[in-house]
Amino acid sequence: MKNAPLEALKALVGPAGYLDAGPDMDLYLTDFRRLHRGRSPLVLLPANTGQVAQVVRICAQHRIGIVPQGGNTGYCGGATPDDSGTQVILALQRLNRIRQIDPLGDAITVEAGCTLAQVRQAAESADRLFPLSLGSEGTCQIGGNVATNAGGTAVLRYGMMRALVLGLEVVLADGRVIEGLKPLRKDNSGYRLHELFIGSEGTLGIVTAACLKLFPRPVERATALAAVADPAAAVQLLSALRTAAGEQLSTFELMPRLAVELTSRHIPGVRDPFSSAYEWYVLTELAASNSGSGSGIQTTLEEILAAHATDAVVATNLQQREALWRMRETVPEAQRHAGASIKHDIAVPISVIARFIREAGDWVTANVPDGQLIAYGHLGDGNLHFNIQQRPDTDAAQFLARAPHIHRTIHDLVAAYGGTFSAEHGIGQLKLEDMRRYKSPTELAVMHAMKQALDPQGILNPGKVLPAAGT
Amino acid sequence: MAKILVAIKRVVDYNVRIRLKPDGSGVATEGVKLSINPFDEIALEEALRMRDRGAAEEVIVASIGPAETQQQLRTALAMGADRAVLVQADAGAVVEPLTAARTLLALVEREKPQIVILGKQAIDDDNNQTGQMLAALWDRPQATFASTIELKDDKATVRREVDTGLETLEVDLPAVFTTDLRLNEPRYVKLPDIMKAKKKPLETVTFTDLGVTPKQQVEVSHYEPPPVRQKGVMVKDVAELVGALKKRGLV
Ligand SMILES: Cc1cc2nc3c(=O)[nH]c(=O)nc-3n(C[C@H](O)[C@H](O)[C@H](O)COP(=O)(O)OP(=O)(O)OC[C@H]3O[C@@H](n4cnc5c(N)ncnc54)[C@H](O)[C@@H]3O)c2cc1C
Repeated sequence: MKNAPLEALKALVGPAGYLDAGPDMDLYLTDFRRLHRGRSPLVLLPANTGQVAQVVRICAQHRIGIVPQGGNTGYCGGATPDDSGTQVILALQRLNRIRQIDPLGDAITVEAGCTLAQVRQAAESADRLFPLSLGSEGTCQIGGNVATNAGGTAVLRYGMMRALVLGLEVVLADGRVIEGLKPLRKDNSGYRLHELFIGSEGTLGIVTAACLKLFPRPVERATALAAVADPAAAVQLLSALRTAAGEQLSTFELMPRLAVELTSRHIPGVRDPFSSAYEWYVLTELAASNSGSGSGIQTTLEEILAAHATDAVVATNLQQREALWRMRETVPEAQRHAGASIKHDIAVPISVIARFIREAGDWVTANVPDGQLIAYGHLGDGNLHFNIQQRPDTDAAQFLARAPHIHRTIHDLVAAYGGTFSAEHGIGQLKLEDMRRYKSPTELAVMHAMKQALDPQGILNPGKVLPAAGT
Repeated sequence: MAKILVAIKRVVDYNVRIRLKPDGSGVATEGVKLSINPFDEIALEEALRMRDRGAAEEVIVASIGPAETQQQLRTALAMGADRAVLVQADAGAVVEPLTAARTLLALVEREKPQIVILGKQAIDDDNNQTGQMLAALWDRPQATFASTIELKDDKATVRREVDTGLETLEVDLPAVFTTDLRLNEPRYVKLPDIMKAKKKPLETVTFTDLGVTPKQQVEVSHYEPPPVRQKGVMVKDVAELVGALKKRGLV
């Protein structure tokens, strides 16, 4: 690749603003799951929006592909360059200022490189809540959360990232900037442009700052781990809690027995709080932001559980609450300790999710003798991490070799149930085949048209999200 | 019929980041999670295990506090205590260790327990006095900071973690015990037990009923937060570290 444009980029950002060699550079070339590895001549670390715009302008001039990168915690290889060695990485980590907090308007304006934890902390010090909550919050960045339209464990009450964004500052593929950071709750003046960039995984523009919604901090929480007979009973419990608690229902996470076993075995401090074993569990939480209703939500939770759960434990203090949450949040980590797993991030309509789990589970039992189903996650959103865990003492390579076949079968079934093969983790470079298979030609054509309109040269995150047209 | 009396206190939850009221007159409790003092929860757990092993027939849990303390007593009943007594104090009133000990003594005289277990201290005031004062007023043995308690006939063997290692005490019952963190891990409250707890007796009495006159002997002038920790600096290597320490006159 030609040297002159690279030199121009380096001169632009200065010595503290790039990496072009050394072990540190490696971190930017591999994704967090180590599924993807790319090559790149240059990692750019611009210091502000102005520099990002100039970087993009130079790249546009020379048709250099740009891979935006946040905390690099994404699940689909979206932030990893291809192996051509021609794409530059644009990491936003130095754009990490909290620009403004407006407690009256319940809004916070932050730069794209702020970590999610940093933003939650800033909100908390203003006695406010920024509700997005992911296991990766210490590392993932707001720009990445916007670009992937992240979900997590608070979606049931507060929605996905899309529902939390009031406005964005975005650098377009030609270096122009949309300054859309107005903290307005209502603005019907034409198309809501910033919506386009949410969930676009860096293919339509580069997010440099976001204006986000804040909420009152919950002061009372009632948290329980319930045991239920099967997913159908869990859905009944969900419906009863919705009816009784309304918007106070903030968490509803399903876990099978295997999740409880693996976390108690592999994660220090996690233990099964019950004295007998159950097939399925639900971690659920009600939250109230006004004190006084405190024992109210506790009682509501207890009464509904008494009517709809087989058994339950209720956290009596925050330490117990955190221990229950820890069990849910460390399922992925425990899975890693227990061997290989084949993962799916699926959603189906809640009304059929129990039937889906049964049918797909039966297929796994019959066809994947060296694997065990561990279907867990955001049941309240109809979203499951439908994972298949390698059984102890089986061969990992042999097990993983069947992944493509298993993905295909599960995703076909998901489609038959009217669901999606990517509920919250996006497409990146991992699910291009699925895009081609499950999206309609019309949907794909409109997506290509949008890409063409905003990035006609195709320099923004090339090869991600959209399968090449016509192949 | 042997009884165990457990004293619990309602305090700001251990995991809450404490904030002061703006005027420095105390800790803000508005909209803050309140729970059973963790050492007291351990005391209750120990009492329940003793009872379940057959060392006693009844566990009575008592608390001194405002009306809302009923919440924590209900939790204690759900954990497994047989009945509860609330000695109701005015909202916001400070109950000093001596008043608490005198109140508990009155309950001890009424209930005649073999064993009294308390937390070694409450995490709000960190006084670490009530158990000791109660034992003195009652004129019975005390074994504080217990990390194990073994009962045999009318004696108890208690291990305590002290600076020099482990100390083992033997005391005659009735006696007062206070708990250390490592004594046990309190159970989770189970749903059927929550339902059962709603029907268990929870009695409310006043200081006057018990013949106690609360006294305030300590006056708190003001509260202030601990100094903010200075941000750390990163050094490149040992040479730079030594240089930085020298510059500040630390080596
Ligand atoms: C332990 C763990 C738990 C997780 N739990 C969840 C969960 O519950 N729910 C969930 O949805 N995800 C979850 N994730 C996935 C991941 O954390 C999210 O997708 C997160 O939003 C990615 O943020 P990031 O900053 O790491 O983005 P990256 O991985 O760096 O990038 C992700 C995509 O966004 C693009 N991008 C990044 N920054 C920008 C920008 N400023 N402008 C334009 N494009 C950009 C990249 O090019 C890439 O396509 C989890 C990950 C881990 C490791």
